Amino acid sequence: MRELRRNMRLIGVLLVCLFVGVGGWFGYTTWTQGARWAMSSSNTRLNRAKNSVVMGSITDRDGYPLAWTDEEGQRRYSNDFAIRLALSQTVGDTLSMSGTGVQTFFASTLVGMSGSVIDRTWQWLSGETARGDDIQLTVDARLSGVVAQNFPSGYTGAVVVINYKTGEILAPVSMPEYDPGNMATSVPDTAYFNRCLQGRYTPGSTFKIVTLAAALENLPGALSHAFTCSGSREFGNGAVTCLSGTKAHGQMDLRSAFAESCNVSFATLSYELGQNALLRTAEAFGFNDDFTFSDVVLYASSFPKDIGSVSELAWSGVGQGRVLVTPLHMAMIAGAVANGGVMMEPKLVKQITGSTGLPRLRATPGAYRRVMSASTASIIGDYMEDVVTYGTGTRARIQGYTVCGKTGSAETSDDKSVETNAWFVGYLAEEEYPYAVAVVLEKAGSGGNLAATLAAKALMEAIELVG
Amino acid sequence: MTRKTGETDALRKALRRADTSLLLSAVTLFQASAMLLLTLRTQPIDIQSLLLAFAMPAVTLLCVKGLSKFWKIDRVVLTLVLFLCSVSVVTLTAISRASVTPLTQALYIAAGLVGLVAGILFIRLLRHWNRWKILFMVLSVGFIALPLAIGETKFGAKNWITVVPDLVTIQPSEFVKISLMVVLAACLSERQSRAMMVLSILFGAALCGVLLLERDLGALLLYFLTTVILFFLATSNGWLSLAGLGAGAAGAVGAYFLFDLVKERVSIWRNPWADAADSGYQLIQSLIAIGSGGLLGMGLGLGMPRMIPLYHSDFVFAAICEQFGMVFALCLLAVYALIILRGISIAMSCRDGFHALLAFGIVTILGLQTLLIVGGNIRLIPLTGVTLPFIASGGSSMVSCLTGVGMLLGISSLNADRDEDDVRRASWQEGECG
Repeated sequence: MRELRRNMRLIGVLLVCLFVGVGGWFGYTTWTQGARWAMSSSNTRLNRAKNSVVMGSITDRDGYPLAWTDEEGQRRYSNDFAIRLALSQTVGDTLSMSGTGVQTFFASTLVGMSGSVIDRTWQWLSGETARGDDIQLTVDARLSGVVAQNFPSGYTGAVVVINYKTGEILAPVSMPEYDPGNMATSVPDTAYFNRCLQGRYTPGSTFKIVTLAAALENLPGALSHAFTCSGSREFGNGAVTCLSGTKAHGQMDLRSAFAESCNVSFATLSYELGQNALLRTAEAFGFNDDFTFSDVVLYASSFPKDIGSVSELAWSGVGQGRVLVTPLHMAMIAGAVANGGVMMEPKLVKQITGSTGLPRLRATPGAYRRVMSASTASIIGDYMEDVVTYGTGTRARIQGYTVCGKTGSAETSDDKSVETNAWFVGYLAEEEYPYAVAVVLEKAGSGGNLAATLAAKALMEAIELVG
Repeated sequence: MTRKTGETDALRKALRRADTSLLLSAVTLFQASAMLLLTLRTQPIDIQSLLLAFAMPAVTLLCVKGLSKFWKIDRVVLTLVLFLCSVSVVTLTAISRASVTPLTQALYIAAGLVGLVAGILFIRLLRHWNRWKILFMVLSVGFIALPLAIGETKFGAKNWITVVPDLVTIQPSEFVKISLMVVLAACLSERQSRAMMVLSILFGAALCGVLLLERDLGALLLYFLTTVILFFLATSNGWLSLAGLGAGAAGAVGAYFLFDLVKERVSIWRNPWADAADSGYQLIQSLIAIGSGGLLGMGLGLGMPRMIPLYHSDFVFAAICEQFGMVFALCLLAVYALIILRGISIAMSCRDGFHALLAFGIVTILGLQTLLIVGGNIRLIPLTGVTLPFIASGGSSMVSCLTGVGMLLGISSLNADRDEDDVRRASWQEGECG
């Protein structure tokens, strides 16, 4: 019997541990992912609720209304056409065509299904028509409208302006756009697609920020590294070429190689780093992470884990090949440089107000993680300032303010006649205006032209408009 | 002398049973208030719910007070089990489409309570039933194999038989579960007899074989695990038990390649979102319901749990999460754990190997069943079609689980009787010395 008791104690403890384990897992996953499950587009109960509940309204950071339900139960959108279009994918539509829009992702909040028990009980007792919660976004409607109006016509792409100290998304603009208030008309191709969050682009030279960080943190003596660029260098069975094409960069140090965006130099760096160090730094910056932010559905950026050849390693270091990144993530990377190496979690919701008028959730800034040391960030910041003062991004200059940035001209095809995607990522090194920006213009050639100009315009307007 | 008196006092103190009146009041309050709330939900008021609002607390009080008047049963276990049963009725009232579902469930519980009393009597009266165990084995195998001959296929498993068409269907595997416990406990507690031990394992294996033929893989898993655990408890033979578990794991891998059903369940579990509209639909709707419930739930009678397929049986846990929220669901898990702890302590205080093994076996099977189905609902493990004890709608499961609890209670009353005898004898000796 004694032996039996001992065995029973053992199995009993095991059984209770299993219960604790299942309970813990249940609590943890429900707490962390429950809202995400409930917001899924497979949640048919939301569509039902939309018929019986007055959907809450959506406003911008200053309370400017972006979407609301009128007396007839009709969903209405901002009367300012520019704003309405600029934020179309961000606000979303009632048909959930734009899958990441607030009206889809936060549907359960807007129809009050995630509201407080008190609110629900009150509505139940008073017999009032159930009303969902109101959401105030962090976006600035006017800024978004202006950015969209300055978007070069005929191009597609995305612009994201964020506050790099708080992570707030100020202007998410994805082109082409659509009119959520008039879904019957034909909509341009891919207009429902929010390029800021869902567009996985080849980063091109903007990825050199990450390669530079890897070099500074892993290669001793990186700062005094000297390079010789003859316009092209063989790596394994492939060659990395500089896009300036006709003329070689010649002798350069790390600083000028970054400012002039020399591919040969950075391919050399990534070759010297090796794939493990580069992958480690890229993953520290958030590549290959399934971002599970509470406010936005941000598609994962990727850096190849199984680089097969030396030439792929070299090309990965200059942001080509299988490296992919979203515009918002790129803005977060620039923001992390500005913010002393700490990347902030992106925030889209400023406040949620219950139907009884009581605020239920106020956003508090949170760090995603420290992605590099403060000293690395400050060196990269200096180098990015050079890019704008004398390097490839001089068009991003703003009179009276310090702009730091990096250009990119990402090849998307082996066919050289296809124009590259133009990138510019950067930020204002100003204590009062902590804004970072990422611009991608599809097939717009070199990043130093249209993209840099648009980024400067966006930052300028942010200084002007965001309070 | 004084030392001895102190000992007897301590014994007496230990004997005075825990005061369960607070627990009992809380449970009856829950039953009455929840059902009254549901009564007022519709206009005109729901008479059936109103009746249940009075009937459920009454039956609970009657059971706990009445049964403990006859026998010194463990009242905490009984009260908690009745609480779980009432959660079942309340949930089904709140979410069912037809008002007949909660009513049938209440009738099943009533039938189960008869089974519970039968379980107590079985333990207390049949002291020499040991001789019948071969017959028991044959009958069990015969009974569980019955669906193969005259059964129906439901959800890919052929494990049901119809007694009265469209009215009474039973699932033999639920009942045989209890007899498996009894037979295993009886054979394994005879430690000298190696033949008996082998026979009992063969019996377990035979049942598992039949379940395999019926494709009732959830029950198979349950039977298998309990058999291995009881074998380990009785023999302390860790290596052989681990070898058994290893063989089971190999069998599971084999089942994965052999049965499309298993393959599908596993692939759904790995990524339900891949096919959200079709194969992953059930699980995703379950997760959505759990997510919609959040911390405190949508509220009783609110929300849309009927969106979950099988919301009253396989996914009742998800439906409860939507209605009552995560906090309540965690409490529910804690109640199961409490019943199990209580059951383990009953098993530990047995002086007889058969009763100890039987009590522990019943607790184990209830615990594993809960873990398997809850784990399946929350995507911790692939879904297996076992029932959530005392809560999922269905008569077979309810009756068999309550019968099992009855046996557990019977064993606890035997323990209490024996302890009382000890005290009486001790104080009598004391008196003699004095």
